[in-house]
Amino acid sequence: MEYRSQKVAYWYFAAALPLFVLQIFLGLYLAFSYTFTVPQAVVDVFPFATARAMHTNLLVLWMLLGFMGGTYYIVPEETGSEIYSEKLAFLQLFALLAIGVTALAGFFLGWTKGRPLLEIPPPLNYFVVAGALLFLFNVGMTMVRASRWTATQGTLLGGLVFLALLYLFGIPFYRNEVVDWYYWWWVIHLWVEGAWELVTASIFAFVLMNLTGVDRQVVEKWLYVEIGLFLFTGIAGTGHHYYWIGAPRYWLWIGGIFSALEPLPIVLMLVDTMNHIKERKNPIVNRLTWTYAVGCAVMHFIGAGVWGFLHTLPQINYYTHGSQVTASHGHLAFFGAYALLNLMTFYYAMPRLKGIREYDDTRGKYGFWIMTSAMMLMGLTFGVAGVLQSYIERVLGLGFMTAQSYMRLWMGATFFLGLVFLSGVLTTVTDLLTIRPKARA
Amino acid sequence: MSKKTAFWIFLIGTLSSAALFLWATYDTQRQIAALSHVDKLSDEVVAGKRAFQKHNCNDCHTILGFGGYYAPDLTRVVQRVGEDGIRFRVQHPERAFANSWRKMPQQNLSDGEISDLIAFFTWVGNVNNNDWPPQDSRKRLSRGEQMMVASVGVSPGAAVFQTKGCMNCHSLHGTGGTFGPALDKIGASLSAEEIRKYVTDPKAVNPKAMMPPQKDNLTGRELEEVARFLSAQK
Ligand code: HEC
Ligand code: HEC
Ligand code: HEM
Ligand code: HEM
Ligand SMILES: [Fe+2]
Repeated sequence: MEYRSQKVAYWYFAAALPLFVLQIFLGLYLAFSYTFTVPQAVVDVFPFATARAMHTNLLVLWMLLGFMGGTYYIVPEETGSEIYSEKLAFLQLFALLAIGVTALAGFFLGWTKGRPLLEIPPPLNYFVVAGALLFLFNVGMTMVRASRWTATQGTLLGGLVFLALLYLFGIPFYRNEVVDWYYWWWVIHLWVEGAWELVTASIFAFVLMNLTGVDRQVVEKWLYVEIGLFLFTGIAGTGHHYYWIGAPRYWLWIGGIFSALEPLPIVLMLVDTMNHIKERKNPIVNRLTWTYAVGCAVMHFIGAGVWGFLHTLPQINYYTHGSQVTASHGHLAFFGAYALLNLMTFYYAMPRLKGIREYDDTRGKYGFWIMTSAMMLMGLTFGVAGVLQSYIERVLGLGFMTAQSYMRLWMGATFFLGLVFLSGVLTTVTDLLTIRPKARA
Repeated sequence: MSKKTAFWIFLIGTLSSAALFLWATYDTQRQIAALSHVDKLSDEVVAGKRAFQKHNCNDCHTILGFGGYYAPDLTRVVQRVGEDGIRFRVQHPERAFANSWRKMPQQNLSDGEISDLIAFFTWVGNVNNNDWPPQDSRKRLSRGEQMMVASVGVSPGAAVFQTKGCMNCHSLHGTGGTFGPALDKIGASLSAEEIRKYVTDPKAVNPKAMMPPQKDNLTGRELEEVARFLSAQK
């Protein structure tokens, strides 16, 4: 830590971690509901739908807090200046937490917009927008005042502005269900396969540059190529969600072709990471941070690149659309690309923010391997359930619940793997919050 | 490759993809009116959409394939279970799914809301969406339907069974409701005459019966046919 104001990042990370834990408890309730019968009286009060809204909104909330904390950590070092206003940064953190808690309580009481993943109702959304504006203002002013532009910084700011703009398309009430889904994907797809990839790529570039000591010019050159490919394939690739919503038929071509190319930038990122690590100029201290970097690149490739590609062509998507195959991909991709990226950032920044040069990573290693193996296996069990569903319900045309009864075993396995995953998460979160220096031998 | 070349790759890649995407968005907006039958998008349909969102149905059920995967897709639900079938399930989920291992919450919807929802589902069901989902495709009949259609040829009773609400509560070949027992093997235990008696007035046979009497729902001839059809299911 070189700048005093980087300290705010710590509070963003510390706020994100308990939300991650809570997200997992709700995920377990979801998988439980797939496997066992939840009695009518419980379903009436706390239905699957409410738990799903909480599970996914908590996911987005903790990850955005992580990105914001990451930004507040990186921007001072990249610009060589303090954050424009530390107070504003704290105010914004409290505002977001308050909005988050209100939203969750609201879901429980039935206050919802009722759009999957975007359940936050309009009045609360205006506060979300205000919070985002505060954040962008604070970050933007810091960069403008310092006026020491780098590609890493530019990509980060560009990604964050793009992210905020896209959110606006999810706010209105659309009368037409088809139009509604059309713009819903401007938020969901263009987020995870556009704006979030930009933010991720720049955070990743920053951490790699600092870990490995590889020359900025080299890292940033590849950063441009990566984000160029991400946006080239990702923007038109949105079409892979427009096959079956009542949009014109040419989307089968646009979506199919562009989204089939989407794994390219992800492969490039993986190759790039491996190369930078091979050509490192710095010794490996804090091995766990490096493990996270490689793990993130690999799991990003598997979850988003491979799993995404598997069901992106219309001929396959016709049968797998909206099944557990989608859930399998959603989990592996979000975990690989964004959960691991955030955790890597936490492991990079939190020790530094506490003035620890070399941290004790024994517990953390267990955390990483338990979480990553459990999630990989969950991806497979969700996946088997999804293939069974696609075949029994969609190809054979047997009833929905008939298919579900064949999938039950695999959803049960997912639940039990979820318990293992939870133990990994608890280990990791405790480790991060109580991180301590490595004992000198 | 220099950093400058890399920057141009970024700029050209992004702009070309964005240009294609925005053009296609403009064109899609133009075509959506016809593809989704905007002329039939009445206030009632919109009210149904609001009710659908208000009760967060979409986080359990997918529609057009998006949402929660916990419950059946509702894109073609009118075609699948009919208007009365929807009304019964939404009004009394605790009864409709009493015997299922997966429950739907009782959300106390008003009759008006349910009618709006049905209008909404009817509208969505007619969207021209490249014939998704496959299990409800009319071009590609499902295995369950093929068996039903095959037996319609032999016995018009199958058609009665399909269209007179029996499938809201009973299933055949894995398709249908779960409130009542599956009837795939009913012919092995009951004769046509016994079935006719039961269906006419279940309470007369079994005082604890929960099945509503069907004598006003079916004509005498339909009753005969459905009884004959079911007694052949062994
Ligand atoms: C907590 C999850 C949940 C919520 C919320 C929910 N449902 Fe359901 N619904 C189910 C389940 C589970 C089934 C299937 C149960 C079975 O067949 O055993 C179902 C079945 C149905 C069916 C029959 C579908 C078919 O093809 O057989 C209809 C219609 C339906 N629901 C409408 C609605 C409407 C309208 C709403 C919102 C007011 C709603 N549901 C909210 C869980 C839910
Ligand atoms: C509202 C739900 C419901 C509807 C609609 C319904 N049933 Fe039933 N049916 C049941 C239930 C529940 C049972 C189990 C016994 C009981 O509680 O009455 C049953 C039992 C039966 C039985 C006897 C099964 C046995 O194993 O003894 C037959 C035959 C039958 N139904 C035929 C029909 C036919 C034909 C129709 C359509 C005309 C129909 N049912 C419509 C709920 C329904
Ligand atoms: C890190 C990046 C990614 C994340 C976090 C991610 C996440 C998700 C999620 C959560 C969904 C489900 C949305 C819903 O319907 O509720 C989804 C759907 C989908 N994703 Fe991804 N994804 C990523 C990258 C990719 C890539 C690169 C591809 C293609 C190569 C892809 C292909 C698909 C497809 C085809 C669907 C639609 C599934 C369906 O029809 O139901 N994804 N993704
Ligand atoms: C114990 C661990 C977890 C379990 C048991 C679990 C289970 C589930 C279940 C059952 C669903 C509902 C799918 C449906 O609609 O039917 C769901 C949705 C979702 N979960 Fe998890 N989850 C867990 C952890 C996670 C993690 C760590 C992430 C992200 C990093 C995540 C991201 C998501 C997403 C994005 C969705 C929406 C999927 C979609 O729309 O396709 N979950 N989860
Ligand atoms: Fe996508």
